[in-house]
Formats: sequence, structure tokens, C-alpha cells
Amino acid sequence: MAPVEDQPEDVLDSSLVDLNTFNQILEMDEPDDHEFSYSIVFGFFDQARETFESMDAALDERNLEELSSLGHFLKGSSATIGLTKVRDGCEHIQRYGKQENLDGSEEPDEDLCLERLAEAIQTVKKDYEEVETVLRKYYAQFDS
Amino acid sequence: MSEILDFLPVPTLVVQPLGDSYCIQRASTGLLQAWDRTREDLVDKDLFVALYRGSKTERFDRIPLAYAIETAVASKALRLCHAAYVSGDDTWTARITPVHKEEDLLCLLLQWEKAELHVAVPDGGMSQSWLPIDDAFRILVHAVKDYAIFLLDTRGNIVTWNTGAELNKGYKKEEIIGKHFSVFYSEEDLQRGKPDGALERCLREGRVEDEGWRYRKDGSRFWANVVITAIYRNDIHVGFGKVTRNLNERKENELRLVAAYEESSRLKNDFLANISHEIRTPMHGMLSPCSLLLDTELSEEQRETANLIDESGRVLLQVINDILDYSKLAAGRFSVQSDVVDIAGIITSVTRSVRTTLQPGVSMHLDLAPGLPKAMGDPIRYRQIAENIIGNAGKFTEKGSITVQVSVSAEDETTHTLLTKVIDTGHGVPEDAAAKLFEPFTQLDTTYQKRRQGTGLGLSISKSLCELLGGDIGYERNPEGEGSIFWFSVKLGKVKSPKTTSTDAEQGVDEPSRSPSKDHSTDAALQLNLLRGIARTKRILAVEDNIINQKVLVGMLHGFGFEDITVAGDGAQAVSILVSQGHVFDLIFMDISMPVMNGYEATVWIRSSGSCVPIIAMTAYALKGDREFCLEKGVDDYIAKPVNRQLLMQKLLKWLCHPDSPAHVNGDSTEEPANGCLAIPKEPVEA
Repeated sequence: MAPVEDQPEDVLDSSLVDLNTFNQILEMDEPDDHEFSYSIVFGFFDQARETFESMDAALDERNLEELSSLGHFLKGSSATIGLTKVRDGCEHIQRYGKQENLDGSEEPDEDLCLERLAEAIQTVKKDYEEVETVLRKYYAQFDS
Repeated sequence: MSEILDFLPVPTLVVQPLGDSYCIQRASTGLLQAWDRTREDLVDKDLFVALYRGSKTERFDRIPLAYAIETAVASKALRLCHAAYVSGDDTWTARITPVHKEEDLLCLLLQWEKAELHVAVPDGGMSQSWLPIDDAFRILVHAVKDYAIFLLDTRGNIVTWNTGAELNKGYKKEEIIGKHFSVFYSEEDLQRGKPDGALERCLREGRVEDEGWRYRKDGSRFWANVVITAIYRNDIHVGFGKVTRNLNERKENELRLVAAYEESSRLKNDFLANISHEIRTPMHGMLSPCSLLLDTELSEEQRETANLIDESGRVLLQVINDILDYSKLAAGRFSVQSDVVDIAGIITSVTRSVRTTLQPGVSMHLDLAPGLPKAMGDPIRYRQIAENIIGNAGKFTEKGSITVQVSVSAEDETTHTLLTKVIDTGHGVPEDAAAKLFEPFTQLDTTYQKRRQGTGLGLSISKSLCELLGGDIGYERNPEGEGSIFWFSVKLGKVKSPKTTSTDAEQGVDEPSRSPSKDHSTDAALQLNLLRGIARTKRILAVEDNIINQKVLVGMLHGFGFEDITVAGDGAQAVSILVSQGHVFDLIFMDISMPVMNGYEATVWIRSSGSCVPIIAMTAYALKGDREFCLEKGVDDYIAKPVNRQLLMQKLLKWLCHPDSPAHVNGDSTEEPANGCLAIPKEPVEA
């Protein structure tokens, strides 16, 4: 008999991860391994780090359009896995990059947008680190 | 002495003061004869009793004579009292002579002579008067306070001035007499020749009436009603009469009323808008869990109950949305967007979705004029009108057919006017109700029809929308017997490089919300089995730029039993796969925001290549209007990200399970089953 596993809800904080969405992905795993979901989650880690690097570069170049598009890109995958906080942070980046306020109204002040972007990127990175640690811990239990 | 008095040629009374009253001492013989009275009747009697007893107006009759006597005594001078006594047809005037011995009043002589009769027939209808008319009227007019009444000479100079004129216009009599009446008019009115025009018209027509601003001496103005009348004497024009009435108070009240009405109407609309908005959020909060509930395993009874909640909730949501639209329209806060409108595509899509709601035995025909232009306008609003009008025809037609015709009714350099006619064979609209059709909150109630769901706002909203789109809406009877023709027109801007879309008419677009998976009784497990049964034979193209999302989507599809899944990283890749492999896919999932070529562009390319493969958009946008926008672009359905597995399964079943899936059909059939998802025929069907 397989050892009793920690269920995701035991390890994962629902404020960080939308369990319904994340469970959908776990359900696609084969009964005896977690290869599929592992590949998705760790694939996302790589993607997120790459994207953050691109964001930093775009911020240096003051490339708002690129930042918005990167925000949208990472928003899609973080939403798919259910990483709520990261998704929301990415949406903020998408909006600020489009020179919009969070309510969708126009924000003509480019400098203000860049300032907000720098802040939002910091926040999203922090939220990401947090959720990465938790997810790594979750998958660590299967290593043996 | 007494004899002299008796025989005086003038009828005479001698009256003696007695305290506060007067007693008759003597009466001349002539008087007795003239008045046909006896001496006993008069002598030693109270003067007023003797003269006036028996008269119905006794108390009033004595007033002028008593006053005349009083003033005569006080001034020790002769006084006349006009018409102080009436005897038969004659009226007598008293000449009152007080006789004093130093300060003491000895007696009064009242000598009577017949009053001269003035006969006048003024327009007031008074036929007889002993008053001198001119003087009387002058006094009357002068006493009027509320009206400025004055006379002008033939050239418009002011000749008279009454109290009312002084009060209303602020000029004293002495400063205005001789001035010209045009001083009361504004500079603007003077330049427009208003006062002179008024006099000219008055001479031609005898009288003019006007309302407008008039100015006072202090420069303030008042809203006046003015009547000018031409005055003639012996057929010679001698001047004008002018009566000015101050309507300021009325005008102010009117303005106050209008403002109060507007304010209350605005408050009502604001209230409706706010409350609808507030209700909408919890409604969504209720409906979403309800649809989740319906996806779980439920007993027959539970499912029926949950379905009731779901259906009523949706009706309520529609009502709220209608009210919200209506209040926005009424408040003029409705914005119209400008985008390319594919009329043929929209109409095709709307008829397709209404078709699924038709009652058995009702057929629907689409008659699109060849060469309908693509034009600039608001596709979502056009769709909203079309959905309402065509949807109504569907609701109210129980047998026969519904024909939808679209044609270009007018064209100029910059615009097309498109006319959409919906002809049905339903019950029609009674004559008396037709006039009220487009008023808000109107629903026709007839004994044989049960009341339909809704607010009765649909047509009123459609009318406002049509007007916003530069068009109109109307109703006429179906000349071929029973039924109605509803038509509406919209004005659309021309696109720079005009393309016709008549050949695009086959692109089928369905409306997901109107035909939700009808079979709620199938539970999730059964659906999964059903899907697994068909999945192995279906080919799917997934267009998605994010590898994580690709993987998850493919994982889910594998889980449903799909084996043949092709992935494209952006729209351009998808297009090149379709070019090299041909239209072999049964379904396409399309991400919207992608690099190189986005989902909309790819969809437009696919549709223009003649394929009507079902395309399901996947989007993380969840804003209002996105669904409409997706559908407008030729997408069949859409699913929000993150993709919910249950929902994905339902969408797949909906678009793949039908035995006559439209995947490869370019549509040659002309009659479709009411609930089918076949493509709309390529060529317009004649009604």
C-alpha cells in the first residue's frame, strides 16, 4: 500500500492557490505518479523566472507594451494552474503596461505607470517565491 | 311762501334735517303730479324711506343721494345727484341746495329734473347707461393694477398710462407719455423689427397677440402676454390699444415644473440603474453556484428544482439587464462604438439561435440581399436590436413562418442605410395597441396569450438603439393576412475598401447562452462516457501560445479520450497547419491574445477560407461585451480561462456530439430542423 500522502489542501494555502483549478491538474496524473502535474508546475517555474527576467529588461527599456504583453502571458499560465495571487499580480502588470489604472481607466502619466510597474513586479516576484516554496515542498514528499 | 313752493315749475322737495336722518317737509304739486304720488305719501316721512321703500336694492339706492346731501351740507354748496329717483320709465336727477342761516342748516331744497338718457352700444353688451361711457372706462382702466393698459397714437407713441402699466413697467405716467412703445422691447427684438411688425399686422388683422420678454425701466425683464388692438373712430384709424399682462409667475412656475419633472425622471433612472447594478452582482453569485450544482449528481426531483432556480434566475437577470439598458438610454449615457459590422454574419447568427426556440411547425427563412456591405457601426447594438425583434417574432408565432429580410434601403457618399424586416404569421398586433408598441413597459395582453416573460422594455430599448444608430423602427400589418411586419433601419458608415459579405453568409455562429446544454438530466459521468465514445474519431486543433496552457489543455483533452490533437503556438502557425493539412479538424480551440497573429485574425482567416469548423475561443478577458465581440468575429462559442474541466466537456459535447456536425458542411440545405446546428444556407432563401 502506498504511504498516505499529504493532500494539496493540507499544504497549500487557498489564498495562494485556487484548489479547484490545481486539483484539476492533479487529476490528470496517472494513479501511481505525479509526472504530469510535476512537469506542468516545474515548467511553470522555468517560465516564470524567464518571464521575470524579460520583465526586468523591459522595465529598464521603459517598454510598456512589452511589459503588458509579458503580464498577459504569465497571467494565462498562472491562472491555468490556479496561482491566484501571481495571476492577479500579472493582471496589474498587464494593465499598467497598457497605461491603465486597475479599474481600466486610462492613465496618461507614463512615469507613474513605470513606477507602478516596478512595484507590481516586485510584488509578483515575492508572491511567486512564496508559492514556489510551498509547491516545491508539496512535491518534495513524493521524492524517495 | 308755501304757495310759492307748491307752484314752483320745477318738482321740488323741502327736506329738514332731523338728527341723522332727513324728513320731508313739503312737496311741490308739480312733483306729486310728475311722480304720481300723494302728499301723504311723502310729507312728514323720512326722505330715503319715501323715495326708496319697496325697491329691491333699497340699501344701495340711498347711498349716492345720502353722500350728495352730506357733501352739499359740508361744503354749503349746490350738488347734483344723478338718477336719484326712478318713477316709471323716467329717471330723475336731484339738484341739492342746502339752505343755511349762518352755521345752522335750515333745510335742503331738492329740485328734480329728468335725467338725460345716454344710449351706447359698446362691445361689452351694455345697452343703456346714464354714465358718460368714455369717462367711466377711463376710470375703470386706470384702476386696473394687474394689466398694463394704455393707448398709442397711430405711430406708436404712448398716449395714456394706467396704474397697472406703472406697476408692471416701472415708468411713471409723466415720464412715459409721448415716448415710443418700442422702449419696452429688447435690442434683439428691435433689430428683428418686432414692434413695427406687430403694428403692421395689427392694422391688417385688427388684433395681434404675442408672448415674449418685455423690459422695465430698471432693465429687468418679465415674460409678457401682449394684445394690441387697432382703434378706429368713424372709420378713421386713430391709434392702438395695448394690454400687457405679466406672466412671469406663470413662466417661473412652468420652468419650476419642468425642472422638477426632469429631476424626478433623472432620479428614477439613477435609482433604476443603481439598483439593477446592485442586484446583478448577487444574481451572478447565485446563478454560478446553481449551474455548478446542476453539474453534480442530483436526484430527479432535486434537478427539477435546481433547474427552476436556474431558469427563473436567468429571466430575472434579463429583466435587470433590460432595465439597466433602458435607464442608461433614458439618461443619454449609452455609448455607441464604431467597429466593422458584418450584418450578414450577425443576422445569420441571430436567426440560428432563434431557430432553436421556434415552436414546432414554424419555419424560418433568411433573405439577405446580395452584396450586403460591411460597414462601420456598433455590431453589439445592431445584434441586440436584431435579437429582440427576431426573438419576439419567434416568441409570438405559433404556426406558419418567419421571414427575415435585410437590404440596403439608401446610400450616400459616406453611409449605407440598412433595412431589416421581420415578417411573421403570428397573432399580429391589435390596431389600438400598435401606437403604444414602442413605449416602455408595454406588453400586449390578450386573452388567448399568456403573458410573456420580460419587462416589456425590449421594443422601447430597440427603438432608442435604432435612433442612436441613426435609424428608425416601425410596425405594420402583414398585408398577406395574419401577422406582423417589424422593420428597423440603421445608418452605417462606409468602410474604405468595401467588401461584400454575401458569400460569408454560411458562416454559422451560434449563441451559447441561448441554447445551454439542453440536457441537464445527463449527469457528468454519462457526459464523459458520451464524449469518450466519440473522442477517438475527432481531430482537434489547439491554438495557444503559452506552453503551460497548451500542456494542460492537451492533458484535459487526453483525459476525455482525444488522441488526435494538433497544437499551434499562434494564429499564423494555425493558418499554415490548415493550409498544409486542409480543413481536417472537427474543432478548433483558439486563444485570443497571441503573438504574430492573434485569435481574431486567425478566425477571420479561417472563416474567409470557407470553413465553418466550430471555433471555441479561450480568453482570460471576462469583460462585458467580450462574448459578443468573439461571436461577432466568427467564433462559435467561448470559454473563460482558467478552463473548467466540466465546462470544457460540455462545450466539446455540444459542438461534437451532433450527428450532423457542421464541421465539413458548407451548407446546401435550405430547410433546417428548428433545433439543429446546421450551417445557414449559402444562398439567401426566398420567402
